[in-house]
Amino acid sequence: MTGQHQAREGKSTMTVTNPTGRRDAGLAAASAWGQTPGGAGPAGSPKAVRLRKRRKSNFEGGRGYVSEKDWRTPRVRFTMRTLHTVLLALLLVVGVGPMLLLAKFAITPTQDIIRTPLAIFPHGVALSNISIAWNEVQIRLYFMNTIWLAIGSWFVQMVVATTGGYVLSVLRPAWGKIVNGLVIATLFVPSVVLLVPLYLTVLNPPVIGTSLINNFLAVWLPAGASAFNVVLMTRFFDGLPREVFEAAKVDGASSFRLFWSVVLPMSKPILGVVSVFALITSWKDFLWPMLVLKDPTKQPLSVRLPAIASQTDLGVFLAALAISTLIPVIFFIAFQRLFLSGAGLGGAVKG
Amino acid sequence: MSAPGALRPTGNHQPGTDRRPRRRSLATWVQRGGLSSVLFALPVLIIFGVFSWWPIVRSIVMSFQKTNLIGTPTWVGWKNFEFVLTDPDLPKAILNTLYFALLALVFGYPLPLVTAVLISSVRRRKGLYSVLAYLPVVVPPVVAVLLWKFFYDGAPDGVFNTILGYVGLGPYAWLSDQSLAMPSLVLEATWAAAGGTVIIYLAALLSVPDELYDAAEVDGAGIWRRVWHVSMPQLRGVLLITFILQIIGTVQVFLEPYLFTGGGPAGATLTVLLMIYDYAFGRSLGGNYGAATALSVLLATFLAILSLVYFKLTSGWSKS
Amino acid sequence: MKYSRTRMAIAIAGALALTSTLVACGDDKKDSAADANAAVTLNVVGLLPGAKPEAQKALADEVADFQKENPKITVKTKDYEWKATTFAADLAGGTLPTVFEIPFTDAKTLIANGQIADMQSSLSTLSYAGNFNKNLLQYGQGPDGHTYAIPAKSVYAIGLHYNRDLFTSAGLDPNKPPTTWDEVRSAAKAIATKNPGVAGFAQMAKDATGGWQLTVDTYARGGRLEDGKKATLTNDATKASLQFLKDMRWTDNSMGANFDYDWTGINQAFAAGKVGMYTSGQDVYTSLVQTNNINPKQYGLTMIPLTGSDAGVLGGGTMAAVAKTATANEKAAAVKWIDYHYLRKYTNQDAAKKNAEIQVASKQPVGTPELPIFSQQQYQTYQDWIKSYVNVPLDQMTSFTTKVFDAKLVNEPAIATQDVYKSLDTVVQAVLTDKNADIDKLLTDANAKAQRAIDSAG
Repeated sequence: MTGQHQAREGKSTMTVTNPTGRRDAGLAAASAWGQTPGGAGPAGSPKAVRLRKRRKSNFEGGRGYVSEKDWRTPRVRFTMRTLHTVLLALLLVVGVGPMLLLAKFAITPTQDIIRTPLAIFPHGVALSNISIAWNEVQIRLYFMNTIWLAIGSWFVQMVVATTGGYVLSVLRPAWGKIVNGLVIATLFVPSVVLLVPLYLTVLNPPVIGTSLINNFLAVWLPAGASAFNVVLMTRFFDGLPREVFEAAKVDGASSFRLFWSVVLPMSKPILGVVSVFALITSWKDFLWPMLVLKDPTKQPLSVRLPAIASQTDLGVFLAALAISTLIPVIFFIAFQRLFLSGAGLGGAVKG
Repeated sequence: MSAPGALRPTGNHQPGTDRRPRRRSLATWVQRGGLSSVLFALPVLIIFGVFSWWPIVRSIVMSFQKTNLIGTPTWVGWKNFEFVLTDPDLPKAILNTLYFALLALVFGYPLPLVTAVLISSVRRRKGLYSVLAYLPVVVPPVVAVLLWKFFYDGAPDGVFNTILGYVGLGPYAWLSDQSLAMPSLVLEATWAAAGGTVIIYLAALLSVPDELYDAAEVDGAGIWRRVWHVSMPQLRGVLLITFILQIIGTVQVFLEPYLFTGGGPAGATLTVLLMIYDYAFGRSLGGNYGAATALSVLLATFLAILSLVYFKLTSGWSKS
Repeated sequence: MKYSRTRMAIAIAGALALTSTLVACGDDKKDSAADANAAVTLNVVGLLPGAKPEAQKALADEVADFQKENPKITVKTKDYEWKATTFAADLAGGTLPTVFEIPFTDAKTLIANGQIADMQSSLSTLSYAGNFNKNLLQYGQGPDGHTYAIPAKSVYAIGLHYNRDLFTSAGLDPNKPPTTWDEVRSAAKAIATKNPGVAGFAQMAKDATGGWQLTVDTYARGGRLEDGKKATLTNDATKASLQFLKDMRWTDNSMGANFDYDWTGINQAFAAGKVGMYTSGQDVYTSLVQTNNINPKQYGLTMIPLTGSDAGVLGGGTMAAVAKTATANEKAAAVKWIDYHYLRKYTNQDAAKKNAEIQVASKQPVGTPELPIFSQQQYQTYQDWIKSYVNVPLDQMTSFTTKVFDAKLVNEPAIATQDVYKSLDTVVQAVLTDKNADIDKLLTDANAKAQRAIDSAG
């Protein structure tokens, strides 16, 4: 499913991932955003505080449809406890099970994987799978490529979204409306339309004159054209107290200074959210990097893994898959609050 | 922030704040921040111009052209559309795509809802449940597909067949079976995405004010009735949005059929996006870019209509 | 514009049978006259992705030796696998190396589209330029009579590859491989019965390889898929081939559980001992060693069974082509590399021995049977040159090598080859995955698709 989900303050919207893997907030951000009652308005510091509080309450608080009285009824308590235990067991099997299997396969000799996939190390472990994958199959190289692609895409997205949001929300030139309309319009164009022409643009980009194929810029730059980010940023800036800007202007702050020293520091919550989206989207991207990064030494994991599948020893290959999963999972466990409120807030991204 | 129901374009101005006197001279314009506005707008203008606006226009232009990237493109009128619409594979691709969307709804719509409703009533460690539910979502999609492809091995000692063998089922051919292939794809896709939907529903459920439940309880409503008559109506909007957006998302499905089956067996998982990809990039003697763009323009039009429906429905909902 | 001028110049040169590029290129020195003293960096196709370190070393040794011979040329190799489904994007994206490889069947279209460089004048600098097997050379020639793509390697007839160990395990004599389709079927059944989880016979089915192999089966039963510009997919031989697959799959259940093999995938499964028999190019052994670490003892190669008066073995091969964008210097360097890497060994004893030495030193296969790029006689001479180096189990391939030259070789379908193959992929997959597949109807549909592709190919 190529849906991305976003919920904010209880109401949610969902966006569509485009085949180039770039976020295409399709409709969602533009429309549902504005109309969500009480939505869209994480704002200056007071609201940021509210956001933080809500995060906590989002996943721990609230007594919900089972009241204290119900809980004191043995029958209800028993039923609910049973249901919860079953659910926990199912979540463990379905959510964690495949990953535990993958972790096991990563250190199992290939012959055992093929013959007895579920037996627990009948002939010992093969830690060599991991080192072969990392060194000989050069997973480390593709790993670094993945990281570079993520960092570059993140940077471009941040630059475009923050400056764009700043112009549209804070500076507000007369022609801003037109730009704003054009940006929002792209939300309504499913990105499949972009596939071929974008590819041809990268083949023969204006001004530069030389093909960007096999160049990281071919992934970084188009990633910046995310209307979703710009809309998110603009909305957030809209909620910042304008008096602060006016005061800064009175003090003689230049536009740049206002941007760098006032607006950005006030926007940390949204910068965090957009950053997480940007990094995750990039980590998951497949079709677009596959089209524009043809040189194997430039490719990220997502492109390289399917390509080596049929010529790599199965145990080694599964070790490679495990390595590729590890970082996002660790990231998630470490920053689960940010991820989950992000999923609630702006969209877990599934390319 | 914005009043409920008001759809306001971003950067929309409060009346009065932007009515500056018309500036005549360049110096005043610069002084008033005109230049810095332009400078700050450059990243958006360049990036969107080159990588979004222009390609969109070009896509429409190209759908009426024939080009092989070497000679100059020639105008061919509606020929590309004719070619695409008479492609014998198209009906099958459309049906398959709709089938994928339908299965994705059947698998992926009720399940997260039930899960979220249950999690919302957990008293302690909601966080643990949420993390577990969300974990598959953070697995890179390509890795998830390749891992499941291995699980789906049709041999009796494949992972799933071994597990099902314990309870006396199978072995199944999974991806090599024409009628099982698509459900297998959707199963993986649901596994990979359901966690996100669970979190959305959960956030919505937890924002239902406790007072509503209290009132229902006072009225004598049992737990089940509270879920049905209090929680569900509060979720209506979210459910509608995920419904339509899930359809819009699944209609553009590419990764699963491309990596799992390449559209096979015998075209059983051929989707519209796979056809577009194949027209443009999958032919050994040069892409048919005209056909590819024509089909994507058609698909985009269809999605635009869907969006319009979505738009109407949601604005109706938010006004109520 | 400059290309057409160059081409015209070369055309005149060709007409006068001049071999010197200098004369031909007249005024356009920058574009057409190779400067022998200029330093050139040449990107060329290397091994298949995933090739073992030993194979990489052998290639690196070749490159080093070549550079010693041509100090001004720096060769950079790039791992590459030609695939029907990715080639167009590689070509359009300009990401192919300057010297790349294409199948025989695609050359004509690429020439017509102006997508590969005219190599006529460069080629004619080679002493053996006139000795090519004319039937092969014509694939790479344009309507102007010039050679654009050069027959280079892997000139194959399809053979039946089998796993000798699996034959033994099933009580079959590995020295007496099947000679009829019925024997193939019963051998497959025996292997599958004795070795659960192993496919007695496997068939490629994906990314145009399904159609390719079905074409092989059709030819072997005397059918053809194109008659001029008419698609003839519904012929009896194709139907019989599909019925044969259907029987093995559904009556005998001797084809295993995997029906989405492509070329690499089936090689890997075969080398891993999961496939008893399959059909593929006769030279696939090289790749089985380089990429899949096959155990030579288990390998066997025999002729594909032929039935019917018009029966033939499908043949094909790989041509070397040069990017349209190549400069004159690159073209000159390219032809030197093509000479060194692909062709010289067949025509020069020292080169043959040196090449064999390099390969043997890295334990790479030498002597894998191919079809002659030049004359058959020349090929025999070459075999004698390298006799002492041969390290492939030739005695396990004799039932192929002794008969292949007597068989009728049939070219692949000429028009829209890969599209015709792709339309047949669907049919092959349907027969292998649907017990009730209606062969007649499937072929009628595929025929319509193939005809459409042929028509739009003009």
